[in-house]
Amino acid sequence: MNHEPFDTLAAAYALGALDGEELVEFEAHLAQECARCAVTLRESYEALAALARSAPPAVPPPEVKQALLSRIAAVAPTASPRRERGRGSLPWIAGAAAAAIVAAAFTGAFVAGHYEARLGQTARELTATRQRLEREIAALNDQLAAYRSAADLLRDPATRVVTLRGLGPSPGATGWVIWHQTVGGQLFVANLPPPPPSKTYELWTIGEGAPRPAGVFRVDAEGRATHRVEPVEGGKPVKVFAVTLEPEGGVPAPTGPMVLASAK
Amino acid sequence: MTGSGAELIRQMVAGDREAFARFYDRYAPLVFPLIQRILRERADASDVLQEVFWEAWQGAAGYDPARGSPEAWLVTRARTRAIDRIRAMRRRSETFVAPLHDALAAAPADPGGDVAERTEDRRTVQHALAQLPSAQREVIELAYYAGLTQTEIAERLKQPLGTVKTRIRLALERLREVVRPTT
Repeated sequence: MNHEPFDTLAAAYALGALDGEELVEFEAHLAQECARCAVTLRESYEALAALARSAPPAVPPPEVKQALLSRIAAVAPTASPRRERGRGSLPWIAGAAAAAIVAAAFTGAFVAGHYEARLGQTARELTATRQRLEREIAALNDQLAAYRSAADLLRDPATRVVTLRGLGPSPGATGWVIWHQTVGGQLFVANLPPPPPSKTYELWTIGEGAPRPAGVFRVDAEGRATHRVEPVEGGKPVKVFAVTLEPEGGVPAPTGPMVLASAK
Repeated sequence: MTGSGAELIRQMVAGDREAFARFYDRYAPLVFPLIQRILRERADASDVLQEVFWEAWQGAAGYDPARGSPEAWLVTRARTRAIDRIRAMRRRSETFVAPLHDALAAAPADPGGDVAERTEDRRTVQHALAQLPSAQREVIELAYYAGLTQTEIAERLKQPLGTVKTRIRLALERLREVVRPTT
């Protein structure tokens, strides 16, 4: 594939000027570890850093240094190794999230294109079609908000990424939870077959005591799902995340087969 | 001054507060004028300055010399934080336009010799910025200092988006050319 469009995207990206679908598209490209773009970005950041020297002179307020030094002195310097270890898994998960955003964007573009064509055909359908389109966009925006909140969570060193593996009826299913004990997180699922009629998937958080219901979620035709997970009351730790197949609407305690679970 | 920037960051990873103080002394005079230029308000600029160096201290382990200089690492972070803030302000108040007007003004003057480590490369970059066709310099400044996205720049300049993208690419190619290491 011709790489030139990415050269243009890389320049705007380095400058922080990329937006909309192109930003999503380029981040997905970066997630594939494009060596050429890595060089372009590295050189662009150096050039743009050098440009900082063209700002009019200003003396940093002395109280900032003092504030920083007291802040540092107040925190025990033991956090570093943990941070380093957590970092390893982030590019992969960020890439997966970016790819999912691209998929959502493409779905949006397809839906929009489809409905736009119908608009041309019959003026009568105009209003109804617009409303449907708006609903689709609202749904996609919700999905995008989920990915954004996941990306925000990933910046917090206390955030963990927990992998869920398919069990029993759906061995090919995968999932992961981006989890922060006090903030909550996001569940992402792939390759999970849609549930049988009048059944639904329900997520459980298991810590001390009985499993706690963490909401039911819907799977799309491709077997994907995203689901917001609220923190456990009192910010208590979660040891295991599990998904079971339950009667529609969900139940307060698990009854059906387990289809996904994280390792203990 | 003792220790390269990369060495100071390594010492910061080990929890060396003295190294952090030296790191701050070296880079705050570079980063603060940029933040101040973007945000205009000194109180906001001070907040962002503190945020940026706090993140540098906490995230020192994430610095990878193979991926760029300490200066690029820090300036990129500072720009991002300052621009995030200015975009948030702009969302809150449509009337927040001062930085836009400033960004549209002529290229800023050389600040003189009070900033540490003024290498030949950097003077060349400033010169290169001044030498860019004014249409290219304008898009760079609107993005760099006013935090506008390419779409916003196109709307503001009433130019096709494709034209804005091409200008950004050409301008950055030129600027990269100037700072590319000769090794």
